[in-house]
Amino acid sequence: MKVLLVEDDRELRATLKSALEVEGYGVQTAASLSEGRALLSHAMPPDLVLLDLGLPDGDGETLLEQLRRRHGTPVLVISAREQDGHKVRLLDAGADDYLVKPFSISELLARMRVALRHRGIAARAAVTRYEMGGLKVDLAAHRVELDGAEQHLTPTEFKLLARLVRSAGQVVTHRALLCDVWGAEFTEHTQYLRLYMGQLRAKLEAEPADPRLLLTEPGVGYRLIEGH
Amino acid sequence: MQRLTPAALIWGGAWFAMFALDGRVDLASLAMLPVLAATIAALWLPVPVSLLTSVVAVAAFNWCFVPPRHSLAIDLHQHALLLAAMLALSWITALLVARLHAETRRARRHAREADQLRGFAERLRDAERPEEQAAALAAALQPFSRAPMVQLICRDALPERNDDAAALISGTPDADQREGLWACARAGHAFGPGTGRHEELAAWYLPLRGRHGSFGAVLLGLDAAIDADSYSRAQAQALCDQIGLALERQAGEQAARRAQEAAESQAMRNALLAAISHDYRTPLATIMSAASALQAQDARLTPAQRQRLATTIVDETEALARFTDNTLQLARLDAPGVALRLDWESAEDIVGAVAGRARRRYPDGPRMRVRLEPDLPLLRCDALLLTQALDNLVDNGLKYGGESGIELLARRDGDAVVLAVRDRGPGVAPAWRERIFEVFQRGAGQERPDGARGAGIGLAACRAIARAHGGAMRYRARSHGGASFEISLPVVEVPVAAAEARGA
Repeated sequence: MKVLLVEDDRELRATLKSALEVEGYGVQTAASLSEGRALLSHAMPPDLVLLDLGLPDGDGETLLEQLRRRHGTPVLVISAREQDGHKVRLLDAGADDYLVKPFSISELLARMRVALRHRGIAARAAVTRYEMGGLKVDLAAHRVELDGAEQHLTPTEFKLLARLVRSAGQVVTHRALLCDVWGAEFTEHTQYLRLYMGQLRAKLEAEPADPRLLLTEPGVGYRLIEGH
Repeated sequence: MQRLTPAALIWGGAWFAMFALDGRVDLASLAMLPVLAATIAALWLPVPVSLLTSVVAVAAFNWCFVPPRHSLAIDLHQHALLLAAMLALSWITALLVARLHAETRRARRHAREADQLRGFAERLRDAERPEEQAAALAAALQPFSRAPMVQLICRDALPERNDDAAALISGTPDADQREGLWACARAGHAFGPGTGRHEELAAWYLPLRGRHGSFGAVLLGLDAAIDADSYSRAQAQALCDQIGLALERQAGEQAARRAQEAAESQAMRNALLAAISHDYRTPLATIMSAASALQAQDARLTPAQRQRLATTIVDETEALARFTDNTLQLARLDAPGVALRLDWESAEDIVGAVAGRARRRYPDGPRMRVRLEPDLPLLRCDALLLTQALDNLVDNGLKYGGESGIELLARRDGDAVVLAVRDRGPGVAPAWRERIFEVFQRGAGQERPDGARGAGIGLAACRAIARAHGGAMRYRARSHGGASFEISLPVVEVPVAAAEARGA
């Protein structure tokens, strides 16, 4: 597995590189956008890109565009706390997930695993089944079971759950959810999302106020925890 | 002309009476009539006219009534004395009356001007922005000049260079007049007739003087019909100086306010720096010792020891990251006009995210219960900030709230939603309750009772976050022991669309 790491801080770059190499990844590093772009156009495309925001020579969005267009390579955005707006913009533009600095290696590895798995799946067939704890979802059969008992979801609730199942383990932004479930003209109506997420949790979570499956990523979106 | 009419009437009446009484009273008594007439007429006539009239009247009296009649000759000494006395008396009374009259006029004018000054001063005192009183100044100066007036007013001290953009200019001055206004303001001295400077001008340039400099100038075009005496100028200058003083006072107040704000923000920065240097040093020291132990003693450490040191580094780094976030938010929210990323959020989302994160941070920590009142309204808030505030409170609760764990609670309270973190721990000593939300300054006698490190900045950040949302952060001691830290946020009406979504 080949990973391209675009990060301008030398220490963090070196630390992440060695940690990833220990896990068996082949790591290429770039200290700037232009370097990253050059590597992408000359070398074999990597299997995954770790993209730091706040690079010295510009916005990561351009690189993301290039990656999406040519290779469909998954991208993990690494941001600092104060780059929240930027981060969400990149996620909406197609980045797969994000990490806020400082993050632990285990967090990074988990996110990378999910992103790579989704890529593999995308190359084969779409996800149609999800299973976690007592929850079983079969998208093709339109069936949701909790602890063996079938759950009845409204059509909108089902569409919302299905969207999250397709990206299980990954964050899905508010905008993406609103756009895919309600339609492009509803991307500002976050209040719809809050109501339906509440209803969905009430049906699927043992304790909706302390959810274990349908997690909130404050200010970004929602994440359905990775299934088995 | 109107002043001559009453005088002429009086003289006419007097002569009529004299001819009527001629022969019935003696000459000395008759002589009283012209004296009386001269005295009364002096009220209306200018002094030289009064004096001349008296001379003519005495001569005519001599001609008409003093024997030998119809001649100016005087044959008796007593008649000469009578005529001389008449003339002297007429002159003296005319002079006295004229002076009295002038005194009265001056007193009236004084009173009027004093009234005008007082009225203007009151107006300025009540004015928030003295420069807006330019129109009032123009009205007050109206009697001095019929020509359209030009004003140049600076809100602050005069700019370094003549900059029309830095001043409020009313009227339409030409380039020369602008130049003159600036020069007058800079000189702090009036120009024009009677001022000793630029006497050739047909206008007065009057500076708006404060105690320590001018704040502009006024151009008063002089009118030939109006008495351009030094007395009027003094009054006009007094009016101008009042506005100058008011502008100076305003500028002074503004400077004082700015200085105070600067001092406050400096104090805030100092407190932050003091707190930062303490709160950062402690985890840094721990990280340093653990990391250097791994570096220097690597071969001699057991795997368990190595693991423990690494865990310490990870934990302390997380604490450091938390301090950094709080410090940044505190500094950011302290700045005026900070923009929040407001969105509709559900209390369930926020509380759930906070609980989930706390569970990941403290997998073996004390018990944590989450309680949510049903049907809470959506919150209009910045989700990241609010979860950060609750993270802080949960963190504190888990660290210092005792063994029995904490409760994370959201409930409606009138027009607000309250998000509370409650515990059954020792609580906060009464002396500290007001101060726990201030940025903590360590100093003599200020040692925090439980040495809660970083809690100072954390709680101050919580309060700043609550306030930035138009809400409040407060501490409440629970009735059966324990602490309750409560963030209350105002409920904002959700747009109608949400109700439609519910029905969909």
